[in-house]
Amino acid sequence: MGALSDKQRQSAVALGVLALAVGLGWGAIDISSEAGYAGIGPNFLPWLVAVGLAVVAAILLFEAHSGGFRNMPDPLAHDAPPVSAPCWSGFVWMSGALLLNAALITRIGFILSCALCFACAAHGLRQAQSGRRQGLRSGLVDGVLGLLIAAPVFWMFTKFLAISLPGLTQSGWL
Amino acid sequence: MDILNQLMQGFATAGTPINLLWAFVGCALGTAVGVLPGIGPATAVAMLLPITSQVNATASMIFFAGIYYGAMYGGSTTSILLNTPGETASMVTAMEGNKMAKSGRAGAALATAAIGSFVAGTIATIMVTLFAPVVAEYAVRLGPPEYFCLMLLALTTVSAVLGQSTVRGLASLFVGLAIGLIGMDQITGQARYTGGVPELLDGVEIVLVAVGLFAVAEALHAVLFEGATSESQNKLSRVSMTASDWRRSIPAWLRGTAIGAPFGCIPAGGTEIPTFLSYAVEKKLAKGEHQAEFGKQGAIEGVAGPEAANNATVTTALIPLLTLGIPVSNTTAILLGAFQNYGIQPGPQLFTNSPTLVWALIASLYIGNVMLLVLNLPLVGLWVKLLKVPKPQLYSGILIFATVGAYGMRQSAFDLVLLYAIGVLGLVMRRFDFPTAPVVVGMILGPLAEAQLRNALSIGEGKWTVFLERPMSLALLGVVLAVLALPRLLRKRV
Repeated sequence: MGALSDKQRQSAVALGVLALAVGLGWGAIDISSEAGYAGIGPNFLPWLVAVGLAVVAAILLFEAHSGGFRNMPDPLAHDAPPVSAPCWSGFVWMSGALLLNAALITRIGFILSCALCFACAAHGLRQAQSGRRQGLRSGLVDGVLGLLIAAPVFWMFTKFLAISLPGLTQSGWL
Repeated sequence: MDILNQLMQGFATAGTPINLLWAFVGCALGTAVGVLPGIGPATAVAMLLPITSQVNATASMIFFAGIYYGAMYGGSTTSILLNTPGETASMVTAMEGNKMAKSGRAGAALATAAIGSFVAGTIATIMVTLFAPVVAEYAVRLGPPEYFCLMLLALTTVSAVLGQSTVRGLASLFVGLAIGLIGMDQITGQARYTGGVPELLDGVEIVLVAVGLFAVAEALHAVLFEGATSESQNKLSRVSMTASDWRRSIPAWLRGTAIGAPFGCIPAGGTEIPTFLSYAVEKKLAKGEHQAEFGKQGAIEGVAGPEAANNATVTTALIPLLTLGIPVSNTTAILLGAFQNYGIQPGPQLFTNSPTLVWALIASLYIGNVMLLVLNLPLVGLWVKLLKVPKPQLYSGILIFATVGAYGMRQSAFDLVLLYAIGVLGLVMRRFDFPTAPVVVGMILGPLAEAQLRNALSIGEGKWTVFLERPMSLALLGVVLAVLALPRLLRKRV
């Protein structure tokens, strides 16, 4: 993504908004227009939102091609939040953490799945912080830490608040 | 004194040991999420929405109100002690508070922020007590056209007026409205955009959108862009104020409250305007050496005023939420979602239909304010320790709680995939400076506004002129046009 210019990225965002507009409009065709006394039916707001999004997308596209989005925060301002070069490997680790969690939570239970998610996400964040690959040892520490957070959370929510979260066993403790 | 009677009954309900415990846990948790970077009251309440299926309405609203409130106290601690400004609400506090902390007066800044929050919060709660029933009584007489105009006002201000760019604000609003469209149409019951998936008939869960946009997007942003940034922490000094600090703070608190409270009452939310306004007023009114402190050693008025304004706005924002059912910020939108989970629609009838709940909630605000003062003044050293949690573990821990919220609501692993997708959307939005509040407010308010619009047009037998024929709705439309036009005209002149 480093090769892309601001203009290309902003155009991509504008096209994304446009795609959403088209999707909404396409879906709105099938919605009935039965209006009753109101004169507007269930398909009125969908069309309004679709047209609104299309107009906004057009303006964004125009802005992207004429000097960029307006009134963007100035990255050089002294009180601007600091932004460093994107760390894609860390991003991949965290994405993996979240998607793995989604895939495993009903299979290996909340505690183990979340501990794994914690370890992977922390791994990615530490990589982003130090810019180096992380060793196995800190990964294990994170795994244990993840267990120590996930287990009490699981017990607290399932025992005290009776929210059902998936366990590995039927015991209710793991 | 009917109000006093009902308030006393509210205290009786809120004062039971179990409800006091909920209030206390809420306040403590709220302070913690306020102090911690990367998680705010909206996220915290959203993550805990699943408890609405188990805990009774009064207890959980007291709990959520505690979080909502506590986060305001905690937020000022972070903005005074850390050199990275947090959310917009505490940005103004950070300007002077940080300067004060740098010149060794962190303790005084923290004290004036906490006591100022207490003073403003209590005065504003008294206003809620006195005015909310009156507004509710009046609001009963509003018809669908007026409601629609009020909602239009809320949607307009949150998307087009606040924030940097009207276009990006509107883009966010339309995305929120689009999410709100998914599910059953409120009037005809027709399914829209469900793609035949039965789970989607009830709409997209607000937990998913809020937690995805705030918590997950925040974590993704941290890993992607904030890796190598370092932040320094100011030293904490003894939390106390000198006689001169008191003399300078008290008028600033009162002025801040007077500026902040009206802004919460109108459905045109945001704490940015009142806090900046209060800051400007304090700077203007300060004289001699006190004025010279602004922007240099840090002036205590510049912390006291905005902090009071912030709390007053946040508290009186409960008036439109409770009496009209109109949320004006992320957190109030999510609180509205919590009410809806109980099948309760806040609005003028709330005071007659669920008086126990409303008055217990209002009473808990008084109790919460006292609790927070105690939690914050002597114990501030404890909360500051939270700032030592290293970022990797902090954000990863937040993800565990995000999982609880997203999964606990519907027990669907697919929701976790959706959560990630919404997190990526939030990341893109944050990267390109699209505001997130319009998404959440639009998603909650959209379906309500649509229903009011169609009911209004039914009353007018399909004619749009119905909005112009009723004086109240005509006036409200005028206000909508004014808030759209005024900032532009003012900007041109400056």
